[in-house]
Amino acid sequence: MKAQKTWQTFGEATRTIVNPAVEQWKQGGGKVVGFFCSSVPEELFTAAGLLPFRMRGTGSTSTELADRYFTSINCSFPRHTMNQALLGEYDFLDGLVCINSCDHVRRIYDNWIRALGTPFVRVMSLPRKIGEPQIAYYTDEINILKKDLEAHFGVEITDDKVRDAIKLHNEVRGLQKELYQLRSADKPPITGSQALDVMVAGTAMPKAAYRDLLAEVVEGARESEGVGDYRARIMIVGGELDDPSYVEVIEEQGGLVVTDSTCFGSRLMWVPIDEQEEDPIRALAKYYLYDRPTCPRAFGDQPRRIEYIRDMVKEFKVDGIIGERLLFCDMWLVEHFMTGIDLKADDIPFLHLDREYVMGGMGQLRTRVQAFIEAIEAREA
Amino acid sequence: MIVAGLDIGSATGKAVVLADGEILSSHVLQSTANPRHTADIVMTRAIEEAGLSSIDELDYVVSTGYGRLQIPFAAENLSEITCHAKGAHWMDPSVRTVVDIGGQDCKVISIGPGGRVLEFIMNDRCAAGTGRFFESMARALCCGLDGISLPENQGDDSCTISHQCTVFAESEVVTLVNEGTDVRNIVAGINRSVATRVASMVRRVGLVPEVALTGGCSKNRGLAMALEAKLNLEVKTLPNDPQIAGALGAALFASEKAGASSADPGSLREGAVG
Repeated sequence: MKAQKTWQTFGEATRTIVNPAVEQWKQGGGKVVGFFCSSVPEELFTAAGLLPFRMRGTGSTSTELADRYFTSINCSFPRHTMNQALLGEYDFLDGLVCINSCDHVRRIYDNWIRALGTPFVRVMSLPRKIGEPQIAYYTDEINILKKDLEAHFGVEITDDKVRDAIKLHNEVRGLQKELYQLRSADKPPITGSQALDVMVAGTAMPKAAYRDLLAEVVEGARESEGVGDYRARIMIVGGELDDPSYVEVIEEQGGLVVTDSTCFGSRLMWVPIDEQEEDPIRALAKYYLYDRPTCPRAFGDQPRRIEYIRDMVKEFKVDGIIGERLLFCDMWLVEHFMTGIDLKADDIPFLHLDREYVMGGMGQLRTRVQAFIEAIEAREA
Repeated sequence: MIVAGLDIGSATGKAVVLADGEILSSHVLQSTANPRHTADIVMTRAIEEAGLSSIDELDYVVSTGYGRLQIPFAAENLSEITCHAKGAHWMDPSVRTVVDIGGQDCKVISIGPGGRVLEFIMNDRCAAGTGRFFESMARALCCGLDGISLPENQGDDSCTISHQCTVFAESEVVTLVNEGTDVRNIVAGINRSVATRVASMVRRVGLVPEVALTGGCSKNRGLAMALEAKLNLEVKTLPNDPQIAGALGAALFASEKAGASSADPGSLREGAVG
């Protein structure tokens, strides 16, 4: 019963923007800082006593207001998210940190400061190459953000506070990874859409409270009988996927999603932040730039990314991989093309699917997924 | 053992009745706004042509196409990708690459032994390079689909249609018409523009001969000629109506299913049983 309530809490947090945990936090006088992209060091917000909230366009049905600032050939993720903000859905934010994760998302900063009155808005610069000079650069960027946060919110972010935040966030990562690894079983304890509920909720709730609820879910999953009635074990590879109903469409066709490499999924937590590093700010920079699995915006790192996928295929006994991409994303377009070539050499079925941030074109999606699963079954027959 | 396959597409409904691995009848008609209604009519026609009196005489029915989920008398549904591969392979087992161009989408399917799907890609969510595209172009040229498809209507390569968007391409064609351009050259340009797009899809999946066209647009000879020029090979002419490949594939799967549940496996052609 307790577990059922937790699932409800996670589901609600994932399917809305303002959830009860955020409301409660605000009512208790707490402040919330929104951030775009999984490369923003959210531990810094936790260390400052702020609630980090990962930005989404959840619940959006139109880009009518945002299209004053964006065009129809911009990615639908920033358009829908901006539209939600223009509708007032993000009025609860006390701050926002943007980043140059891609050209579509970074433009949110330029438009946000013109259109919206959020008191504290900053933009970070994340290097595209990976190496020591870039880690040093990003360490500086994080230190600049730290000083700005301290000045604006009137708090001191000591190294010890950052270390405590890293420890807390690492505990969350450890539990999330444990939950994922239970899915390598022949009968995974949860579906892929449930896993996404867990992951997205973790970006929208106070971390300590979330960790405690997550521990319950992991406990329950260990004893769960599991899902056995599937036709194929699927891995999703892609970027900004926060919508469990998209995963549900895949699972309705019999493709149980057992793992992923997405930035609301495993890439958030597969590797912990180095707690031994002397300077915790440098530990953050190194983690967000290099230690964790990268996304295609990182130059020259495709070999590591495909190895990550290959390891996942082995560990989770994956039958086929779906590469999802938001339309107009050039980074994922080229990445999926290369991934497709590499997986063909490995004889692992791969399906590239384009999508819009808000689901549409269900008929074509179903047809493609159904055909993909039929082809996987025919291989195995 | 008598079975049927039903392919309810965006533009047409197709039905094939098979008896012991041979085609008894097939029927093609325009889709209505109601897939269930389309299925009823096309199935009834195919049954009549097969000399049967009722749908109850069918041992098994498999549906495919966009309307595949709406057919009450189908025991099962399969994606049209799987079905086109199966149907094309039955028609000609040497085919390794199927280009299926229907009313609203275009698929390139790479097939392996037994007509099994190895890989496929579909066009984006719009009508570019599909039946709807040709219908719009025919309207702009006031010529009917024959005007675009017949070999004698293919002019030289002096016209290029650069837009893939159906709406923009149509206005490009209207401009050419109003400049007094020879309609046959415009027609060749239209077919070449679709062939260019399809050829890059084929290369993406991997060009493995033989290549065959299926779906309604396989009737466009001009497109086949343009595709042959682009790929530098001969597009295989299938021995049966390539428009029914999906329905035939569905019927072949119906045979397998019915065969699996009865003692008589039928006498399907080599390769048709997986």
